[in-house]
Amino acid sequence: MGTNFESKYLMNKFFTKKFSIISFIFIPIIFLWHPNWLGFLGVQPYWPLFWLLPWAMINGSINGLVFGLFLGLILDSLTLNESFTQIPGLIFCGFFFGRIKTHSDILVGHFRYGLICSFGSFLCGTLYLAQILFRNSSDGNFLMFIPSFKNILAEVFLTGLFAPFICSQLIRMFKFSRRKV
Amino acid sequence: MLSIRRISNSRWWHKKKNWLFFAIFLFLVFVRISKGAFYKDFYYFISKPFWPGQFQKEIVLESIDQEYLIKLNLLTKDNIRLRQILSLQESSNDEHISAAVISRKTGGWWRQIILNKGSKDGVEIGNIVIGPGGLLGRVKNTSLFTSSVTLITSPESKLGVWVDRIQINGLLVGLGDDYPSLIIYSKDADIKVGDFVSSSPASTLLPPNIPIGIVQSIDETLKSKKTAKISLIAKPHVIDWVQILKVNI
Repeated sequence: MGTNFESKYLMNKFFTKKFSIISFIFIPIIFLWHPNWLGFLGVQPYWPLFWLLPWAMINGSINGLVFGLFLGLILDSLTLNESFTQIPGLIFCGFFFGRIKTHSDILVGHFRYGLICSFGSFLCGTLYLAQILFRNSSDGNFLMFIPSFKNILAEVFLTGLFAPFICSQLIRMFKFSRRKV
Repeated sequence: MLSIRRISNSRWWHKKKNWLFFAIFLFLVFVRISKGAFYKDFYYFISKPFWPGQFQKEIVLESIDQEYLIKLNLLTKDNIRLRQILSLQESSNDEHISAAVISRKTGGWWRQIILNKGSKDGVEIGNIVIGPGGLLGRVKNTSLFTSSVTLITSPESKLGVWVDRIQINGLLVGLGDDYPSLIIYSKDADIKVGDFVSSSPASTLLPPNIPIGIVQSIDETLKSKKTAKISLIAKPHVIDWVQILKVNI
């Protein structure tokens, strides 16, 4: 009985302590899951930003940049577009998010998360589009413009919509796990 | 002198019977002139309850389906035989692998599906994936248990296609939305809305004659080419089961 209780306690402690890393593992799974009912015009929110923002805000720019790179590497390996990469956008977002400090007003803080994530999503989308346009420059890339802008705008809207709910919860949990350490 | 004088009511037009005969005669004349239309219409109403019903319709439709299937098989065999004679490329139709879609990214930048069959089941890179309706994409990557398919709507996808009505080759380019673009490198091509697009016999990536889509709208003609939006017949965002074709091109 005692051993069981101790192992449960240790497991809880481990999960609390490593929550940020464990949640990191789930990003590619949500990225692959791609729940259609959460989508808008067939587009999903840009999931990695929801994790990257809290992580970079708590751990700083360099940490944000490194984990932006890690996320980019994992997500690029899951997508089949070998010619285009998400790494530049995520690195930049990681670094940029690290410069932002948490706001004392909770309500303003919530909206800030939405705004910051929307901006990050716009940046990542634009960088991705720039790669596509550069790659297809010989084929008359004007064809790509309208669907690409639709994708970017839908992604920005959804990311901004969900960020206040998800990011504020993750920040709270990350802070809690750091305090335990 | 006995004068014989008919009484007035003995005239023929005073007899009802004669009028009756006359009426019947007129009616028969009418029937003759109308070529029996009245009878046919009358028959229409009285025979209505005994017409062949839904059941008969099903039998007929089933027979038509069977007939089409047999014709299709015969034509396919013929097609394969002729292709062999002409030494044209062909797909090995006997190697189909059924697979379920376990992950689907059909919106945004990444347009791919992941299937539950991988290299363990014999799936190889470059295999063709078709769903109900036609072509979905090509296997780009395989793991032991899964295979990832680049959809033809992906910005990375470029395929040679064939517009059957005007007998011309074109290039199908994914744009990152649900309607890939058909580029025909001839500004005089008489492409029209509703034209059927299939895989090109000249393509080195696909077996020939796989249905792909229908021309939905035609964009403005550019300097040396025409572009059109294609509505896909197979809808990747709703299909749960697909077939992987092993292609020997």
